[in-house]
Parts: sequence; C-alpha cells; structure tokens
Amino acid sequence: MSQLPPDDVTRRAFLETVARTGGQSFLFGSLFVNTALLRLPQAGTDAKARAEAEVGKGVIYGFVVDTTKCIGCGSCVRACRAENGVPDGYNRTWVEQYTFYPDGEVFVNSPNGGEDGFADPAPTRNKPTGTEAPMRGFFVPKLCNHCIDTPCIQVCPVGASFKTDEGVVLVDHERCVGCGYCVQACPFGSRYLNPETGTADKCTWCHHRVVRGLLPACVVSCPAEARIFGNVSDPQSRISRILATNRVQVLKSFLGTRPRTRYIGLDSEVI
Amino acid sequence: MRHAAHFARLVALLVIVVVGFLLVRAKMVPKDFGVKGHFRLSAIADEAAREPRHIGSDACAECHDDIGAAWRAGKHHVPQCENCHGPGLLHTKVVAEDSTRGYPDKILTAFPKAINPGTGIRECRWCHLKTFERPSALKYIVSVQQHVEQHGGTYTSASRCIDCHDPHTAEVKR
Ligand code: HEC
Ligand code: HEC
Ligand code: HEC
Ligand code: HEC
Repeated sequence: MSQLPPDDVTRRAFLETVARTGGQSFLFGSLFVNTALLRLPQAGTDAKARAEAEVGKGVIYGFVVDTTKCIGCGSCVRACRAENGVPDGYNRTWVEQYTFYPDGEVFVNSPNGGEDGFADPAPTRNKPTGTEAPMRGFFVPKLCNHCIDTPCIQVCPVGASFKTDEGVVLVDHERCVGCGYCVQACPFGSRYLNPETGTADKCTWCHHRVVRGLLPACVVSCPAEARIFGNVSDPQSRISRILATNRVQVLKSFLGTRPRTRYIGLDSEVI
Repeated sequence: MRHAAHFARLVALLVIVVVGFLLVRAKMVPKDFGVKGHFRLSAIADEAAREPRHIGSDACAECHDDIGAAWRAGKHHVPQCENCHGPGLLHTKVVAEDSTRGYPDKILTAFPKAINPGTGIRECRWCHLKTFERPSALKYIVSVQQHVEQHGGTYTSASRCIDCHDPHTAEVKR
C-alpha cells in the first residue's frame, strides 16, 4: 500500500477533526460573547475604568434625591416650571406619590406632576373601590437622570443632544429638528417636545444657574433638603459625603444607562 | 473610444454631486460642530446664556430689608421668599424701571404673574398639611382643621393661616 490520498479520510479522523474544530470555534465564539457581555455596565472593570477616567478630568456633577425626606409639597415642580418656562402640561421634574395597601396593591399618582402639592388629606383617595386605609406611602421626585450611557443622545440623528464635560446632558435647540426620537428613547420619560419651540426639551440641572455658581432652582426651593446637587469629583463636597455615607440606588439600573441622579431610600416598587 | 463622451458626462455629474454635497454640508454644519464630540460646541454657551429667574432670598432682602431681616432671624427661614412669591426676576426688572409710580398696580396689570402677593393659605398647605405620606415625626406638619380649632379659631374654607401667623417669621400674631 502506498500513502493514502489526501481526500481519503477515515471515519475516525473525520469525526476527530469535526470535534476539534467544532470545539475550537465554540470556545472562540464564547470568548466573543464574553467580551461583549463585559461591556455591559453592570460588569466590572471596563465601566469602572471609564468612570474613573471621567472623574479625573475635573468637575463632575451629581444629583441625589432623598426620598425619605421628601414631603411632596411640589415646590421643586413649581420652581422648575417658573425657572425654565416649562409649558403647562409638561414637566422637567415631577413628584410621584406611592401608596401601599394591605392587600398588596400599590397606587402611583402624580396629579399635575405634583405641582399643586398632594394636599388632600383623605388617605383612601387612590383606592378606586373600598375604603381600606393605606399601609404606607412616600413621595419620589423624578427628573432627568443625566445618564452616562445615554440612549437619548445615541438616537439623535442631527447631533442636537449631547453631554458636557461635567456630565450634563443638554439639547441644542438650534439643531434639534423635533423628530422626537429622544423622547421615545428615554426610558425615564424625562424628555418632552416643547410645543412652543417645537424642539426636544428636558431638565438641564439648571445648567444656566450652575455656571453662575447658583444651585438648580429645584434644589434651592426644596424645604426638606430632599434634593442635593454638587460636584461628585470633589471628595469634600456635601454630595460626596452624602454619597459616601448613604446607600444609594439608581432608577432602572437593569437598563445599564448608568444614571448620575441617585436615590436614597428607593423601594423595589418604584420604577 | 466609443464611450468617451458618456464617461466624461458621468464624471462631470459625479463631480457636480460631490462638490454640491460638500458645499451644502459646509453651509449646514456649524464650524464648531464636532470639536468636542458629535455636537455644536457653542450650544453649551447658548444654554448658559439664559438668565436665572429665581434671584434668591438675599437679593429680595436687599430691597425688602425689613422683611428679609425678620425672615432670617425668625423660625420660618427654611422656605425661601420665592417659594411663596414665585420667581423675582421680572419683578425686580419692573421695579428697576420705575419704582415711583404706583408699583403694585402697575405690576399687577402689566405682569399679573410677576410676583405672587401671597394668599396665606394655599402656600401654607403645600408644605404644612398633614397627609398620609408625610413623615409624622416632622413637627411642622399639622392637621389643618384640628390645628385651627385647637387654637380657638373656626375653620372654614376662607380660613387663612396668616390670620394667626406672620408668614415671614411664623410667629403667632397677638
Ligand atoms: C429692586 C428692589 C426690589 C427687589 C430686589 C425685590 N423687590 Fe419686591 N418690591 C419692590 C418694590 C419697590 C415693591 C413695591 C412696594 C410697595 O408698593 O410697598 C415691591 C413689592 C413686593 C411685593 C408686594 C406685591 C404685591 O402685589 O402686593 C412682594 C410680595 C414682593 N415685592 C416680593 C419680593 C420678592 C419675593 C423678591 C425677591 C425675589 C423681591 N420682592 C425683590 C422692590 C423690590
Ligand atoms: C411662607 C411663605 C412666604 C415666604 C417664605 C415669604 N413670604 Fe412674603 N408674604 C407671604 C404672604 C402670605 C404674604 C401676604 C401677607 C398679607 O397679606 O398679609 C406676603 C407678603 C409679602 C410682602 C408684601 C406685604 C408686606 O407685608 O409688606 C412682601 C414685600 C413680601 N412678602 C416679601 C417677602 C420676602 C422679601 C421674603 C423672603 C425674605 C418673603 N416675603 C418670604 C408669604 C411668604
Ligand atoms: C416651602 C414650604 C413651606 C411653606 C410654603 C410654608 N412653610 Fe411653614 N415651615 C416650613 C418648614 C420646613 C418649617 C420648619 C422649619 C424648621 O424646622 O426650622 C416650617 C415651620 C412653620 C411654623 C412653625 C415654626 C416653629 O418652629 O414654631 C409655622 C407656624 C409655619 N411654618 C407657618 C407657615 C405659614 C402660616 C405658612 C403660609 C404663609 C407657611 N408656614 C408656609 C415650610 C413651609
Ligand atoms: C386660630 C389661630 C391659628 C390659625 C388660623 C393657625 N394657627 Fe398655627 N398656631 C397657632 C398658635 C397659637 C400656635 C402656637 C402654638 C405654640 O406656640 O405652642 C400655632 C403653631 C403652629 C405651628 C407649630 C407647630 C405646633 O403645632 O405647635 C405650625 C407648624 C402651625 N401653627 C401651622 C399653621 C398652619 C399651616 C396654619 C394654616 C392652615 C395655621 N397654623 C393656622 C394658631 C393658629
């Protein structure tokens, strides 16, 4: 017998080859999947390195909402509307009222965004039927989360949404064409199309006040110190100390948008 | 070279399209677009140019020095002037224009919402009314009807907190 011709493969060799290359490509492929997974924010190193790189550059603003202190007076909503000329029926910030009933039902309410307060003393008001008294309740103020990985900026077709070096997400009202993609993309409902300008609008953390050394209007007007704004890259700032001594959470962390607005005392029911 | 003419026409068309695109693009895209990212850099300055409308309690106190001093020394310095009266920018502008000629009438007709004169009940209820969700440990949360009756008043829909309390110091009026 001379040598085998190259294409004359025994069954055994064939199966071996299949197993080997199959196994290799499986390993190789799963490597890809793994690195892809690593880029999702909840998984460690990459995201952390990026956050650190951003903090090193200088001022990075952060916002803390202490839901345990909020009394639902609506001062922030009124101040925001006045400061930013937000048209009626739209809100850059709003307050949600959560009411829990003994049967496990949860009601969420935000009449007029909380602008007129929640000054209705009847505790059964949210319950459509029955007169069962609620078990517990609290207020959750909401505003733009100024995410680090923003869905809203990504979808803008004309580059009208952007993030400043300080981490503030802004809208360029000159470039915005009012397509509304960003309004749809924001998972927190923080954006709206302003009927007066025809452009997308949102909370700016009162950028125009902050550059003048003032605090955002909602922070100044809060009588309960439920809203804290400041420079998180300065470890001595008030917000940094609050972040260091409290357990904070973000809204919808599973979406991986990495919000810069953080919450103290969130319940799992809050979405 | 039968097709040379076709070819030349095609190239010419292509050049026109490319040059046209570049011209339109140069006109449409602002100069500072893309300097720091996919956006117009001067949009930051545009946003920053907006004038703050809440001027702060210290600014109010510069003119209303008596009320400002009483407010600061009193027990009601947590709520700011503008919490109850609304933003003061327009108010100060109108005053600066003409502070001699019957100011309140002028502002109320020209800018009815420039400053809220204060009702003395609506503002108080925003923060003080006892509701289910408000932390009961806070001393300043009161059950309105109970409170008024407890202090010898009669509670009607027209009852005002400022019948008994000074809004700026929270002191009980004697
Ligand atoms: C430039 C000076 C100036 C500043 C600053 C100023 N005011 Fe006044 N304000 C006036 C004058 C003048 C009047 C008219 C006084 C009068 O008629 O007795 C007035 C009247 C008022 C009134 C009564 C209005 C009414 O309809 O009865 C209120 C309330 C008031 N100011 C609140 C404020 C608040 C709150 C601020 C801060 C945001 C403020 N003012 C800042 C000058 C000022
Ligand atoms: C808690 C709410 C509240 C706050 C805070 C407040 N005010 Fe008032 N203010 C009122 C109410 C209510 C009235 C109406 C009083 C009345 O009709 O007797 C009033 C009336 C006034 C008036 C006109 C009447 C007068 O007494 O001369 C001025 C001026 C005024 N406030 C200025 C200020 C300034 C300045 C501050 C901040 C230092 C301030 N207010 C903070 C509720 C408030
Ligand atoms: C923006 C929220 C807010 C508004 C509006 C407000 N208050 Fe207050 N008030 C407070 C807070 C907060 C305290 C507690 C202050 C503290 O603990 O130092 C307080 C305290 C008080 C106190 C108790 C003071 C003491 O310690 O004895 C009285 C009385 C009072 N307010 C009356 C009023 C009246 C009357 C009005 C309406 C003219 C009013 N408040 C409107 C937030 C508000
Ligand atoms: C009939 C007069 C009267 C009226 C009307 C009135 N209060 Fe009072 N309030 C008092 C007196 C008197 C005190 C003083 C209690 C003390 O010093 O021990 C007081 C104290 C308070 C306190 C301090 C906490 C406490 O319970 O001692 C708050 C807060 C308060 N009032 C809020 C309000 C609000 C808000 C309104 C309007 C809904 C209002 N008050 C209307 C008479 C009144």
